[in-house]
Amino acid sequence: MRLRGAAFAFGGLFGFLISWGQFTDPDRIRQMLLLEDPYLYLMMFTSIAVSFLGARVLMRRRARALLTGQLVRQEVSRPEPRHIAGAAIFAVGWSIADSCPAPIAAQLSQGVLWSLFTIAGVFLGILGWFRWQERRVSAATAGTTARA
Amino acid sequence: MEDFLSHRPGWYVIGALIGVVVLGLLATINERIGVLGGYSNVLERATERAPRLGWKAWFLFGVVGGSLVFRLLAGHSTVHHGYGWLTRTFTHDQTVVVGGFLLVAGALIGFGAKTAGGCTSGNGLGGCGAGSPASFTATGTFMAVAIGSSFLIKGLIA
Repeated sequence: MRLRGAAFAFGGLFGFLISWGQFTDPDRIRQMLLLEDPYLYLMMFTSIAVSFLGARVLMRRRARALLTGQLVRQEVSRPEPRHIAGAAIFAVGWSIADSCPAPIAAQLSQGVLWSLFTIAGVFLGILGWFRWQERRVSAATAGTTARA
Repeated sequence: MEDFLSHRPGWYVIGALIGVVVLGLLATINERIGVLGGYSNVLERATERAPRLGWKAWFLFGVVGGSLVFRLLAGHSTVHHGYGWLTRTFTHDQTVVVGGFLLVAGALIGFGAKTAGGCTSGNGLGGCGAGSPASFTATGTFMAVAIGSSFLIKGLIA
Protein backbone atom coordinates (compact mmCIF):
# COMPACT_ATOMS: atom_id res chain seq x y z
CA MET A 1 0.00 0.00 0.00
CA ARG A 2 2.80 2.41 0.90
CA LEU A 3 4.58 1.54 -2.34
CA ARG A 4 1.47 2.41 -4.35
CA GLY A 5 1.04 5.62 -2.37
CA ALA A 6 4.62 6.65 -3.09
CA ALA A 7 4.23 5.77 -6.78
CA PHE A 8 1.00 7.80 -6.92
CA ALA A 9 2.65 10.79 -5.21
CA PHE A 10 5.70 10.79 -7.50
CA GLY A 11 3.43 10.24 -10.51
CA GLY A 12 1.40 13.24 -9.37
CA LEU A 13 4.48 15.42 -9.14
CA PHE A 14 5.61 14.19 -12.57
CA GLY A 15 2.18 14.93 -14.09
CA PHE A 16 2.21 18.41 -12.58
CA LEU A 17 5.70 19.13 -13.89
CA ILE A 18 5.12 17.93 -17.45
CA SER A 19 1.97 20.05 -17.54
CA TRP A 20 3.86 23.10 -16.25
CA GLY A 21 6.61 22.49 -18.81
CA GLN A 22 3.82 22.40 -21.45
CA PHE A 23 4.82 18.96 -22.74
CA THR A 24 1.09 18.26 -22.98
CA ASP A 25 0.82 20.72 -25.87
CA PRO A 26 1.40 18.90 -29.21
CA ASP A 27 2.59 22.16 -30.80
CA ARG A 28 5.37 22.49 -28.20
CA ILE A 29 6.58 18.95 -28.89
CA ARG A 30 6.45 19.58 -32.64
CA GLN A 31 8.55 22.73 -32.28
CA MET A 32 11.10 20.67 -30.37
CA LEU A 33 11.11 17.84 -32.94
CA LEU A 34 11.49 20.38 -35.76
CA LEU A 35 14.50 21.77 -33.87
CA GLU A 36 12.84 25.15 -33.37
CA ASP A 37 12.94 24.95 -29.58
CA PRO A 38 15.72 23.26 -27.52
CA TYR A 39 13.68 23.18 -24.27
CA LEU A 40 12.90 19.42 -24.34
CA TYR A 41 16.51 18.43 -24.99
CA LEU A 42 17.92 20.74 -22.31
CA MET A 43 15.29 19.60 -19.82
CA MET A 44 16.05 15.92 -20.51
CA PHE A 45 19.79 16.49 -20.23
CA THR A 46 19.37 18.26 -16.88
CA SER A 47 17.06 15.56 -15.54
CA ILE A 48 19.42 12.77 -16.62
CA ALA A 49 22.40 14.58 -15.05
CA VAL A 50 20.57 15.11 -11.73
CA SER A 51 19.29 11.52 -11.48
CA PHE A 52 22.60 10.02 -12.67
CA LEU A 53 24.66 11.92 -10.11
CA GLY A 54 22.11 11.39 -7.33
CA ALA A 55 21.94 7.65 -7.99
CA ARG A 56 25.75 7.39 -7.93
CA VAL A 57 25.77 9.05 -4.48
CA LEU A 58 23.05 6.71 -3.17
CA MET A 59 24.82 3.60 -4.46
CA ARG A 60 28.24 4.71 -3.25
CA ARG A 61 26.78 5.18 0.23
CA ARG A 62 25.10 1.78 -0.06
CA ALA A 63 21.79 3.45 0.75
CA ARG A 64 18.64 1.41 1.23
CA ALA A 65 15.29 2.33 -0.32
CA LEU A 66 13.13 4.04 2.30
CA LEU A 67 10.00 1.91 1.81
CA THR A 68 11.38 -1.44 0.69
CA GLY A 69 14.61 -1.56 2.68
CA GLN A 70 16.39 -2.96 -0.40
CA LEU A 71 19.87 -1.85 -1.29
CA VAL A 72 19.47 0.86 -3.95
CA ARG A 73 20.63 -0.51 -7.29
CA GLN A 74 20.14 0.19 -10.96
CA GLU A 75 20.07 -2.42 -13.66
CA VAL A 76 21.77 -1.62 -16.92
CA SER A 77 21.55 -3.65 -20.09
CA ARG A 78 23.41 -3.96 -23.36
CA PRO A 79 21.78 -2.72 -26.57
CA GLU A 80 19.90 -5.30 -28.63
CA PRO A 81 18.24 -4.97 -32.05
CA ARG A 82 14.85 -4.67 -30.34
CA HIS A 83 15.92 -1.42 -28.68
CA ILE A 84 16.57 0.14 -32.08
CA ALA A 85 13.57 -1.36 -33.89
CA GLY A 86 11.15 -0.62 -31.05
CA ALA A 87 12.43 2.91 -30.57
CA ALA A 88 12.07 3.61 -34.30
CA ILE A 89 8.46 2.37 -34.33
CA PHE A 90 7.74 4.40 -31.19
CA ALA A 91 9.28 7.51 -32.75
CA VAL A 92 7.02 7.41 -35.81
CA GLY A 93 3.97 7.36 -33.52
CA TRP A 94 5.50 10.10 -31.35
CA SER A 95 6.04 12.38 -34.34
CA ILE A 96 2.48 11.90 -35.62
CA ALA A 97 0.76 12.46 -32.26
CA ASP A 98 3.44 14.86 -30.98
CA SER A 99 2.89 13.22 -27.64
CA CYS A 100 4.19 10.22 -25.71
CA PRO A 101 2.68 8.09 -22.90
CA ALA A 102 3.00 10.53 -19.97
CA PRO A 103 1.73 13.67 -21.79
CA ILE A 104 -1.10 11.62 -23.36
CA ALA A 105 -2.34 10.73 -19.86
CA ALA A 106 -1.87 14.34 -18.70
CA GLN A 107 -3.78 15.65 -21.73
CA LEU A 108 -6.84 13.80 -20.50
CA SER A 109 -6.85 15.85 -17.29
CA GLN A 110 -6.36 19.00 -19.37
CA GLY A 111 -9.65 18.24 -21.12
CA VAL A 112 -8.07 17.24 -24.43
CA LEU A 113 -10.52 14.56 -25.52
CA TRP A 114 -8.46 13.76 -28.63
CA SER A 115 -6.14 11.95 -26.24
CA LEU A 116 -8.81 9.24 -25.84
CA PHE A 117 -7.96 8.07 -29.38
CA THR A 118 -4.23 8.02 -28.59
CA ILE A 119 -4.79 6.21 -25.29
CA ALA A 120 -6.97 3.61 -27.07
CA GLY A 121 -4.18 3.21 -29.63
CA VAL A 122 -1.54 2.74 -26.92
CA PHE A 123 -3.62 -0.05 -25.34
CA LEU A 124 -4.12 -1.68 -28.76
CA GLY A 125 -0.37 -1.50 -29.43
CA ILE A 126 0.45 -3.08 -26.08
CA LEU A 127 -2.19 -5.76 -26.62
CA GLY A 128 -0.71 -6.46 -30.06
CA TRP A 129 2.73 -6.81 -28.47
CA PHE A 130 1.43 -9.26 -25.85
CA ARG A 131 -0.31 -11.36 -28.53
CA TRP A 132 2.88 -11.34 -30.63
CA GLN A 133 4.98 -12.45 -27.67
CA GLU A 134 2.47 -15.15 -26.70
CA ARG A 135 2.44 -16.45 -30.29
CA ARG A 136 6.25 -16.55 -30.31
CA VAL A 137 6.30 -18.52 -27.05
CA SER A 138 3.63 -20.93 -28.37
CA ALA A 139 5.59 -21.45 -31.60
CA ALA A 140 8.83 -22.05 -29.67
CA THR A 141 7.10 -24.51 -27.34
CA ALA A 142 5.52 -26.34 -30.29
CA GLY A 143 8.93 -26.53 -31.98
CA THR A 144 10.57 -27.96 -28.86
CA THR A 145 7.77 -30.53 -28.44
CA ALA A 146 8.01 -31.57 -32.11
CA ARG A 147 11.80 -32.04 -31.86
CA ALA A 148 11.36 -34.11 -28.67
CA MET B 1 -0.94 31.41 -8.91
CA GLU B 2 -2.66 31.32 -12.31
CA ASP B 3 -0.21 33.82 -13.76
CA PHE B 4 2.75 31.99 -12.22
CA LEU B 5 1.67 28.68 -13.78
CA SER B 6 0.77 30.12 -17.16
CA HIS B 7 4.47 30.55 -18.06
CA ARG B 8 6.68 27.50 -18.34
CA PRO B 9 9.68 27.75 -16.04
CA GLY B 10 13.29 27.50 -17.22
CA TRP B 11 14.34 24.13 -18.65
CA TYR B 12 16.82 23.77 -15.79
CA VAL B 13 14.01 24.11 -13.21
CA ILE B 14 11.73 21.47 -14.77
CA GLY B 15 14.73 19.29 -15.66
CA ALA B 16 16.10 19.35 -12.11
CA LEU B 17 12.68 18.70 -10.56
CA ILE B 18 11.98 15.78 -12.90
CA GLY B 19 15.45 14.48 -12.01
CA VAL B 20 14.35 14.61 -8.36
CA VAL B 21 11.21 12.57 -9.23
CA VAL B 22 13.39 9.93 -10.95
CA LEU B 23 15.71 9.89 -7.96
CA GLY B 24 12.80 9.88 -5.50
CA LEU B 25 11.36 6.68 -6.98
CA LEU B 26 14.76 5.06 -6.70
CA ALA B 27 15.35 6.23 -3.14
CA THR B 28 11.92 5.22 -1.83
CA ILE B 29 10.86 2.10 -3.76
CA ASN B 30 14.04 1.23 -5.65
CA GLU B 31 12.36 1.42 -9.06
CA ARG B 32 13.08 3.13 -12.37
CA ILE B 33 10.58 5.68 -13.68
CA GLY B 34 8.38 4.51 -16.54
CA VAL B 35 4.93 5.49 -17.77
CA LEU B 36 4.25 2.95 -20.50
CA GLY B 37 4.55 0.24 -17.85
CA GLY B 38 1.51 1.81 -16.17
CA TYR B 39 -0.62 1.38 -19.29
CA SER B 40 0.72 -2.14 -19.67
CA ASN B 41 -0.06 -2.92 -16.05
CA VAL B 42 -3.67 -1.70 -16.42
CA LEU B 43 -4.10 -3.80 -19.57
CA GLU B 44 -2.55 -6.86 -17.93
CA ARG B 45 -4.98 -6.52 -15.02
CA ALA B 46 -7.98 -5.97 -17.32
CA THR B 47 -7.14 -9.05 -19.41
CA GLU B 48 -6.28 -11.11 -16.31
CA ARG B 49 -2.64 -11.44 -17.30
CA ALA B 50 -1.77 -9.96 -13.88
CA PRO B 51 -3.53 -10.59 -10.54
CA ARG B 52 -3.36 -6.96 -9.35
CA LEU B 53 -2.33 -3.45 -10.24
CA GLY B 54 1.31 -2.77 -9.47
CA TRP B 55 3.14 0.46 -8.63
CA LYS B 56 3.48 1.40 -12.29
CA ALA B 57 -0.29 1.68 -12.71
CA TRP B 58 -0.45 3.89 -9.60
CA PHE B 59 2.32 6.05 -11.00
CA LEU B 60 0.22 6.50 -14.16
CA PHE B 61 -2.87 7.38 -12.09
CA GLY B 62 -0.68 9.91 -10.29
CA VAL B 63 0.29 11.52 -13.63
CA VAL B 64 -3.40 11.97 -14.42
CA GLY B 65 -4.05 13.36 -10.92
CA GLY B 66 -1.04 15.70 -10.95
CA SER B 67 -2.02 17.11 -14.31
CA LEU B 68 -5.57 17.65 -13.01
CA VAL B 69 -4.19 19.58 -10.01
CA PHE B 70 -2.17 21.73 -12.41
CA ARG B 71 -5.26 22.32 -14.55
CA LEU B 72 -7.27 23.43 -11.50
CA LEU B 73 -4.54 25.69 -10.12
CA ALA B 74 -3.62 27.19 -13.49
CA GLY B 75 -7.26 27.80 -14.37
CA HIS B 76 -6.71 26.87 -18.00
CA SER B 77 -5.57 24.01 -20.20
CA THR B 78 -2.05 23.97 -21.65
CA VAL B 79 -3.58 22.87 -24.96
CA HIS B 80 -5.51 25.78 -26.39
CA HIS B 81 -7.33 24.85 -29.59
CA GLY B 82 -7.70 21.59 -31.45
CA TYR B 83 -4.80 19.14 -31.62
CA GLY B 84 -1.69 20.60 -33.24
CA TRP B 85 -0.90 20.05 -36.90
CA LEU B 86 -3.54 17.35 -37.24
CA THR B 87 -6.62 19.53 -36.61
CA ARG B 88 -5.06 22.44 -38.53
CA THR B 89 -4.48 20.22 -41.58
CA PHE B 90 -7.57 18.05 -41.60
CA THR B 91 -10.52 20.37 -41.21
CA HIS B 92 -13.22 18.04 -42.57
CA ASP B 93 -14.38 14.82 -40.92
CA GLN B 94 -11.97 15.58 -38.08
CA THR B 95 -13.23 12.90 -35.71
CA VAL B 96 -12.60 10.14 -38.26
CA VAL B 97 -9.37 11.42 -39.83
CA VAL B 98 -7.62 12.98 -36.82
CA GLY B 99 -8.97 10.26 -34.52
CA GLY B 100 -7.68 7.65 -36.98
CA PHE B 101 -4.22 9.22 -37.10
CA LEU B 102 -4.07 9.38 -33.28
CA LEU B 103 -5.29 5.79 -32.91
CA VAL B 104 -2.57 4.53 -35.29
CA ALA B 105 0.05 6.79 -33.66
CA GLY B 106 -0.95 5.47 -30.24
CA ALA B 107 -0.66 1.87 -31.44
CA LEU B 108 2.85 2.56 -32.79
CA ILE B 109 3.79 4.22 -29.49
CA GLY B 110 2.47 1.29 -27.43
CA PHE B 111 3.94 -1.48 -29.60
CA GLY B 112 7.23 0.30 -30.17
CA ALA B 113 7.83 1.24 -26.56
CA LYS B 114 7.02 -2.29 -25.35
CA THR B 115 9.50 -3.68 -27.87
CA ALA B 116 12.18 -1.13 -26.89
CA GLY B 117 11.59 -1.70 -23.19
CA GLY B 118 10.50 1.85 -22.45
CA CYS B 119 9.27 5.20 -23.72
CA THR B 120 10.67 8.73 -23.36
CA SER B 121 10.31 8.34 -19.59
CA GLY B 122 11.46 4.74 -19.15
CA ASN B 123 14.40 4.82 -21.54
CA GLY B 124 14.97 8.56 -21.93
CA LEU B 125 14.80 9.69 -18.31
CA GLY B 126 15.08 6.52 -16.20
CA GLY B 127 17.35 4.36 -18.33
CA CYS B 128 19.73 7.12 -19.39
CA GLY B 129 19.80 8.36 -15.79
CA ALA B 130 20.87 4.86 -14.79
CA GLY B 131 23.62 4.95 -17.42
CA SER B 132 22.19 1.98 -19.32
CA PRO B 133 23.74 1.57 -22.80
CA ALA B 134 20.50 0.00 -24.08
CA SER B 135 18.55 3.09 -23.04
CA PHE B 136 21.10 5.45 -24.60
CA THR B 137 20.74 3.46 -27.84
CA ALA B 138 16.93 3.53 -27.71
CA THR B 139 16.86 7.24 -26.81
CA GLY B 140 19.28 8.19 -29.59
CA THR B 141 17.20 6.16 -32.04
CA PHE B 142 13.80 7.57 -31.10
CA MET B 143 15.11 11.12 -31.04
CA ALA B 144 16.72 10.80 -34.48
CA VAL B 145 13.75 9.02 -36.06
CA ALA B 146 11.16 11.39 -34.51
CA ILE B 147 13.09 14.44 -35.74
CA GLY B 148 13.41 12.94 -39.24
CA SER B 149 9.78 11.87 -39.29
CA SER B 150 8.60 15.33 -38.15
CA PHE B 151 10.52 17.00 -40.98
CA LEU B 152 9.03 14.43 -43.39
CA ILE B 153 5.50 15.20 -42.19
CA LYS B 154 6.19 18.92 -42.47
CA GLY B 155 7.52 18.49 -46.00
CA LEU B 156 4.82 16.15 -47.29
CA ILE B 157 1.66 17.06 -45.40
CA ALA B 158 1.80 20.07 -43.09
